[in-house]
Amino acid sequence: MSTRLHTISALVHNESGTLNRLSSLFRRRMFSLSSMNAGDCEQEGLARVTMVVEGDDGDLRQAVRQLNKLIDVIEVEDLSGNDSVQRELAFFQVNAGVESRRSILEIAQVMHCDVVHLEPESITLQATAEPSRIDQVVALLEPFGITQIVRSGLVAIRVKN
Amino acid sequence: MNTRSGAEIVMASLVRQGVDTIFGYPGGVVLPLYDEMLNWPQVKHVLVRHEQCAAHMADGYARATGKVGVCLATSGPGATNLVTGIATAMMDSIPMVALTGNVNSWAIGTDAFQETDIQGITIPITKHNYLVQNVADLPHVLEEAFYLANSGRKGPVLVDIPKDVFTALTGADFPNEVQRRGYKPSADLNPLSFQRAAHLLKEAKKPIVIAGAGVIWSDTSDALRELAEKCDLPVISTLLGLGNIDRNDTRSLGMMGMHGEFVGTRAVQEADLVIGIGMRWDDRLTGKVNGFAPKAKLIHFDIDPSEFSKVVETEVVVPGDLAKSLPEFVANADSKTNAEWWTEIRAWQRANPIVVPDDKKFVARHVLHKLNELTNADAYVSTDVGQHQMWTAQLYKFRNPYQLLTSGGLGTMGFGFPAAMGAAFAHPGKEVWAVVGDGGFQMTLQELQTAVENNLDVKICLINNGFLGMVRQWQEMFYDNRQSHVSMGSPDYGKLAEAYGVTFFRCSSRDEVEDTIQRARKAKGPVLCEFLVEMEENVFPMIAAGKSNDDIITDPLLKQHELVEAGK
Ligand SMILES: Cc1ncc(C[n+]2csc(CCOP(=O)(O)OP(=O)(O)O)c2C)c(N)n1
Repeated sequence: MSTRLHTISALVHNESGTLNRLSSLFRRRMFSLSSMNAGDCEQEGLARVTMVVEGDDGDLRQAVRQLNKLIDVIEVEDLSGNDSVQRELAFFQVNAGVESRRSILEIAQVMHCDVVHLEPESITLQATAEPSRIDQVVALLEPFGITQIVRSGLVAIRVKN
Repeated sequence: MNTRSGAEIVMASLVRQGVDTIFGYPGGVVLPLYDEMLNWPQVKHVLVRHEQCAAHMADGYARATGKVGVCLATSGPGATNLVTGIATAMMDSIPMVALTGNVNSWAIGTDAFQETDIQGITIPITKHNYLVQNVADLPHVLEEAFYLANSGRKGPVLVDIPKDVFTALTGADFPNEVQRRGYKPSADLNPLSFQRAAHLLKEAKKPIVIAGAGVIWSDTSDALRELAEKCDLPVISTLLGLGNIDRNDTRSLGMMGMHGEFVGTRAVQEADLVIGIGMRWDDRLTGKVNGFAPKAKLIHFDIDPSEFSKVVETEVVVPGDLAKSLPEFVANADSKTNAEWWTEIRAWQRANPIVVPDDKKFVARHVLHKLNELTNADAYVSTDVGQHQMWTAQLYKFRNPYQLLTSGGLGTMGFGFPAAMGAAFAHPGKEVWAVVGDGGFQMTLQELQTAVENNLDVKICLINNGFLGMVRQWQEMFYDNRQSHVSMGSPDYGKLAEAYGVTFFRCSSRDEVEDTIQRARKAKGPVLCEFLVEMEENVFPMIAAGKSNDDIITDPLLKQHELVEAGK
């Protein structure tokens, strides 16, 4: 079976040890976790966690079942399909002297990045996009010299039922 | 509602849950609880000599009763000493509640004296765990802990309680009902799965059942027997499943797998349908997975959906609690007979029994064979881990659920003796034997003192072969018999028993076995029987780790047996 990235979303009780338990499960069962993102949600005391897991369909099935078995977990869904929207937030700090600033701003505009901070020798950009698009921005900015990249990892939402 | 302290709530919770015995060891942060305990004579506290054994005793208590076992330790080293016992319970899905004290809540995270992150440490080896930071949470946490431990696929739950939570007061009371959103003890039944399973069974010419401990914990032995009778099915038990069907039932084939009986292992290789019931296709059972049951379709009954397709691909899965699914399946299945299949099975069985040697040598098998006979296969029997464990599984004809206590999943040496003690505390007046090796016994024998103090009726069948026998066997078979650190010295067990004040019998020949066992059976209180057996005996059959079940190595003694069978 072929390996690919899967996006899983879990609704969990937000208690002592919850995130520890989730990450422990991935480590212990040798599922490869490429990102995990947690935050409050619409229900008090609960959190929603988006995880990106690399593996084949069998790994995904096991990961979902093992997650479901955790007492903290209320429900788990696979959000890899078309009925979900997925985004990642990223910051890029790029070297930007007088000569290169204009070119960088052009790229930012075309790629829908915001300028969040300006210094005489650098620009800090923010992008919110699908991961592939963020990779693209990285590739475009690389020639100027990127001094810092901060990526949030994926969050995803089901938009159709 | 009056206000109560955290310590009072813990004791009240135990009483509420019907816990009559707990196993523990005191220390600084649990002082408030130990002080409170004096006011609750209805809960017996057994003072162990090492916290690992508190966990094993609670585990043994649970395995012998089906009820939740409870152990208790102080923070830091007390808590970490529980770890092996909790992991043992986790691997075998044993209902247990482990209570630990921790440093004052305001000191947590400061590396305070005897602080350890026992919640973090036990995350992978508990079904769930808690750190209680507020006394008002304690009643519902304890209620939930017992509920989780004992529902669905059972397992150990740890509750870590800071010292100040024991002393803090609260008006909070126990909830009338535990509800944990998102926790589903067992999956819903799928009516279609019964029909599909029943259809496969109807079509099958060579069906066989492998029944695990799920049958025991769901109290469905009767349904299993009905199924076997109605559909004329041979039934294999997993190691942990022994007792789920009476071993003397004509349809029981005993255990299969790495050291299982030839007949079951062979039959699964030839079967066209294997029905796994409350078991999890452990590697000790399947051997190399892609050589397992090559001709068979597989049906899998289990309460835990994460076991489906984890190891093997199955044709039909039957989710849900066996207490509901198994009777439902029995009702759905058409009765049938499998006479030709049985003829094949009986031939394998006749030609490949577990051999109890008939020559002059004195071996462990003589002891276990006699123990089975003299106790009428009706005692509670625990084992430690190693050769003696496999011989017990092969030769003791377990009749009932909850009768065998053995560490299957984790294979924890040192488990046997304290687990038997747990059973003895649970069943006063019943016959309880611990079958142990000289290696494993030396890991936890300090509990002799605990047994003596409680005048506990527990009998130890110590199989002394002067070796870490099972490891020596592997070195003999797979490492050119290069013996590396497997020779095991022992103290003079007679003197040891005398020092502890334990009744002692030593037996060094076959002729004395019966007498030794009978004297031990008549004696009151703890009894240690040392059997000085042949040093280099091997367990057969054997399937080497990672090999297919087709590559079963049978007992060399079988050759002689064939000659006897043939009347030569
Ligand atoms: C705590 C622990 N350490 C090591 C092992 C590995 N091990 C498995 S069987 C065995 C030998 C047991 O020897 P003994 O208790 O004398 O029993 P015998 O095999 O001789 O019957 C060992 C060391 C284990 N299972 N558990």
